[in-house]
Amino acid sequence: MTGPVEGIVVTLDAASESRIAIDTAVQLAARTGAPLHGIFVEDQELLELAALPFARHVTFGTGAEAFTIENVELHLRAQAERARRELFTAARRHGVTCTFEVKRGTVGAAASASEHRLVIAGASSRPVAGYFRVEHRWWSSVGAAAGPLLISRALWTRPGAVAVLMQDRTAASARLLDAAARIAAAGDRTLLIICPPEVAGTEGVEKWIDDRVAGYGVRAQIEATPLEPAAIEERLGHLECRVLAVRADLAGAGGEEFRRLAERIACDMLIVR
Amino acid sequence: MPDIDAVGASEVGPSRHGPEFEFGQRLPPALLYRRCDPAELPFELCSELVDAPAPIGQERAVEALRFALRMRGTGYNVYALGASGTGRHEVIEELLRGKAEGEPVPPDWCYVNNFADPQRPRRLQLPAGRATGLAAAMKRLVEELRAALPAAFERDEYRARRDAIEQQFRQRSEETFGALQQRAAASKIALVRTPMGLALAPMHDGKVMPPEAFNHLPEAERNRLQHEIEALQKELEATVAQVPLWEREHRDAMQRLSREVTGFAIAHLMEELRDDYKDLPEVVHYLEEVERDIKENAEDFLAPPSAPDGAPPMPAPAIRDLEDARFRRYQVNVIVDNGGRQGAPVIYEDNPTHQTLVGRVQHLARFGALVTDFNLLAPGALHHANGGYLILDAQKLLAGNPGWASLKRALGSGQIRIETLEQMMSLASTIALEPEPIPLNVKVVLIGPPNLYYLLSTYDEDFADLFKIAADFEDRVARTPETTLLYARLICAMTRREGLRPLERVAVARVIEHAARLSGNADKLTTSVRAFLDLLRESDQLAADAGKAAVGEAEVQAAIDAQFRRADRVYRRLQEEIGRRTIRIETDGEAVGQINGLSVITLGNSAFGTPTRITARVRLGRGEVVDIEREVQLGGPLHSKGVLILSGFLGGRFGRERPLSLNASLVFEQSYGGVDGDSASAAELFTLLSALAEAPIAQRFAVTGSVDQRGQIQAIGGVNEKIEGFFDSCLETGFTGHQGVIIPASNVRHLMLRPDVVEAAEQGRFAIYPMDTVDQGLELLTGIPAGQPDVDGRYPSGTLNQRIAARLDAFAAKAADLARAAAGLGGRP
Repeated sequence: MTGPVEGIVVTLDAASESRIAIDTAVQLAARTGAPLHGIFVEDQELLELAALPFARHVTFGTGAEAFTIENVELHLRAQAERARRELFTAARRHGVTCTFEVKRGTVGAAASASEHRLVIAGASSRPVAGYFRVEHRWWSSVGAAAGPLLISRALWTRPGAVAVLMQDRTAASARLLDAAARIAAAGDRTLLIICPPEVAGTEGVEKWIDDRVAGYGVRAQIEATPLEPAAIEERLGHLECRVLAVRADLAGAGGEEFRRLAERIACDMLIVR
Repeated sequence: MPDIDAVGASEVGPSRHGPEFEFGQRLPPALLYRRCDPAELPFELCSELVDAPAPIGQERAVEALRFALRMRGTGYNVYALGASGTGRHEVIEELLRGKAEGEPVPPDWCYVNNFADPQRPRRLQLPAGRATGLAAAMKRLVEELRAALPAAFERDEYRARRDAIEQQFRQRSEETFGALQQRAAASKIALVRTPMGLALAPMHDGKVMPPEAFNHLPEAERNRLQHEIEALQKELEATVAQVPLWEREHRDAMQRLSREVTGFAIAHLMEELRDDYKDLPEVVHYLEEVERDIKENAEDFLAPPSAPDGAPPMPAPAIRDLEDARFRRYQVNVIVDNGGRQGAPVIYEDNPTHQTLVGRVQHLARFGALVTDFNLLAPGALHHANGGYLILDAQKLLAGNPGWASLKRALGSGQIRIETLEQMMSLASTIALEPEPIPLNVKVVLIGPPNLYYLLSTYDEDFADLFKIAADFEDRVARTPETTLLYARLICAMTRREGLRPLERVAVARVIEHAARLSGNADKLTTSVRAFLDLLRESDQLAADAGKAAVGEAEVQAAIDAQFRRADRVYRRLQEEIGRRTIRIETDGEAVGQINGLSVITLGNSAFGTPTRITARVRLGRGEVVDIEREVQLGGPLHSKGVLILSGFLGGRFGRERPLSLNASLVFEQSYGGVDGDSASAAELFTLLSALAEAPIAQRFAVTGSVDQRGQIQAIGGVNEKIEGFFDSCLETGFTGHQGVIIPASNVRHLMLRPDVVEAAEQGRFAIYPMDTVDQGLELLTGIPAGQPDVDGRYPSGTLNQRIAARLDAFAAKAADLARAAAGLGGRP
């Protein structure tokens, strides 16, 4: 994300928990003054599943029943309306201007809105039997996101710093630092920049960082830690971390190991391409 | 014009002093005012006396009260009847307090939450003085629990056990669904979250297989996928069916843990509390219920209340309000606290309504709604008086509000049931509190006027059962040397109690004389304490104004005069109009068929007498006496009765020998309001006889008295006021020295006239004449002998009765002539 934030987009769908995503989006919009746009995604995959001849689903109230397109569409419309109501109520409470649309497609596609817009998505699907979550759908958004993507897991008021995993001093890292600093400033949080020792020790790194975050008025700390998933997890275990900011290529490059790390930690994830 | 109340007889009977006067002769001045001889009072200042020992002249009422207080059976409540101001309140309260002092202090009463049914709060009975302690202890308990329980739930032990339970259930859930998911994945089938539940879908490249792709699969593969999905679906159904069971097990496990932790945290606190009240099984039982409830609802102590999801945040006062509301069920509402009380309670309720008697259910406004609970139950006078005595004013009790019905219901059932008026009248359909009734043991003393007692006795069928004892207070006592001295001591007691100056002996004598005047009888003394007290206070103020250390006769007289003057505006106006002859009252000269009657006008607390001109006209007729007042519906029944009686007298005396062929009309001239009573019947008879005899009546007289059919004159009320009224009229029209009032002889003992009237009588300028028969009055009024009939019933010539008989004979003859003429037989021209 370079230049001003054009807006904040919160993506919602029938399978995800929406409350935390909405809270985070509204709070950020209120603090940055950015316009807020909600997108409810009518999941194309569900409609395709419903088109299969033997499609049935098991509900928690009535047991097994036919899973038809009409039925799915009806429920999706109801969910969309509920999501719209919740978003507008929260926006009104914080004096935020808000728009809303319903799109048919995939959650990932909805995240590919614009590189100048911060996309916020809920991390979890709604649980089954209190605990079991069928899948972690946010992962599919990581690959599709054109700009910064914030995967929200906790209410905005939860304390903690914004930690940035800074691999180098490239333009991609500059975008990551910029996005993280914005979020730290919006929440009046400390910005903790974790660099591998070989980057932290290079000359001029502090000035390079200062030049990028000075405009946001945030307090930045730099520390050297190897950017290995195990080392990062150990370090985060000692920190009170609210948001972990990483580059999309690190998330992608880390592969399954990084994905498991991301699933284990409890803080929000900011992923910047 | 106000209604004229020609008051009927009130005190009839022979004088105990014997005939000290002659009928038809001026009364000696000594009989016009019975003085209280200061020489009979053995003190200089009343402060030398000791207080009067008991209410004077109320032996009957006191005996009834004492009897009622001894009787403990149901219904032995008291109605104290008597005139206002007779000191009933003081007497009753003193008696009750004396009795209550030696009686046990009743228990305390509380209302507490009924954990099984909060709509029906439970009552708790505790020994006197212990209820507030329990309330304070429960308040402390909640405060301690608000600190102790969160601490207990913050401990690592609790967290570890909670996490273990969470983990156990998480594990089961994840293992069961996870295993299913893995088995599905092995067959390229995904478990998908749908808006309503879970579905199984064939996968292709990590996504749900589109229908087109599925249809392009070989048939065998399609069948395999379909069969596997169906098999997995059955498994999924069975697993999902287990979910509610898991959830219940989870909840139960967490609840058990919560109960255990709570039980452990509160055990010592509850034990201490139970130990303090181990002698009271009812309280111990309540505390056990409290303990059970706390264990079931420990979460109330853990987190502050918050707005529901999606609702706007609550303001701090609302949070505090809700927080308090969560713990209100553990409070103790002390309805009656008898701690510190000596003896049984004696309560006077000044405003006896349904709510002030049986208590009320109050409400709080919360978030726009009115809510209530057992803490908002407020006690009534019956709660406070329970175990003792309750004094009520009957008139206030019966005025409008259904307090009377509530009182009867409580006394009848022996219970105090706090309920709203709507509940009591079965008007409410909303759910309302129904507190457990409290047993009632109270003695009620109603204070009220006699007429109300008689009305209740007649028309209220419960009254006789609930108020078995009537304490009848006298409004006057006999005036004897003993009671006179007691009165002096009563005056002394009042001045002491009120912090007033002492009265000089002559002043006391004047007060006692005034007490006789107020009683309307020279031989009696009023028991109206209020009237006394007012006079003493006002005399004291006048003495203070004059810088005197003691109240003298002059101050007492000035206070009496001032009292009269404050209320005599209408009276003075009437007298002025008489002086100006706007109201025509003749106080000199003679007139046929015209007489000065006397009546009493009562306005508020004051009463005064005034003369009324009564006239009669006679003519040929059929023996009717027309009462014009009755014809125009201004005459009351007693007045009409008086007129009919005088007609009876006329017929009895003169109608035996001849038909009464006359018509007569009687009227109160210039009377514009209602007239009642029979005290003018003698005057009406005199003016009728004057008209018949054509004998003029001396207008220097005014007459009062009622008459019977035999011509006997009977006593009337308000004789002093009537005499004074005519005296003042003579002052206005001019004294001649011959004026006076003719009164029934049986009223002589009621005379307590104003000093100026007595003085005029002493100087021979005004006179009071007693009469016992019609003839005595007639002779006085006309100066003509009445005449007694001989053996043949004929009256001597020149007498009044002879003239009347002759006139009636003439009417009869004329009537006979007219009758003959009408029959065509001819008659005398």
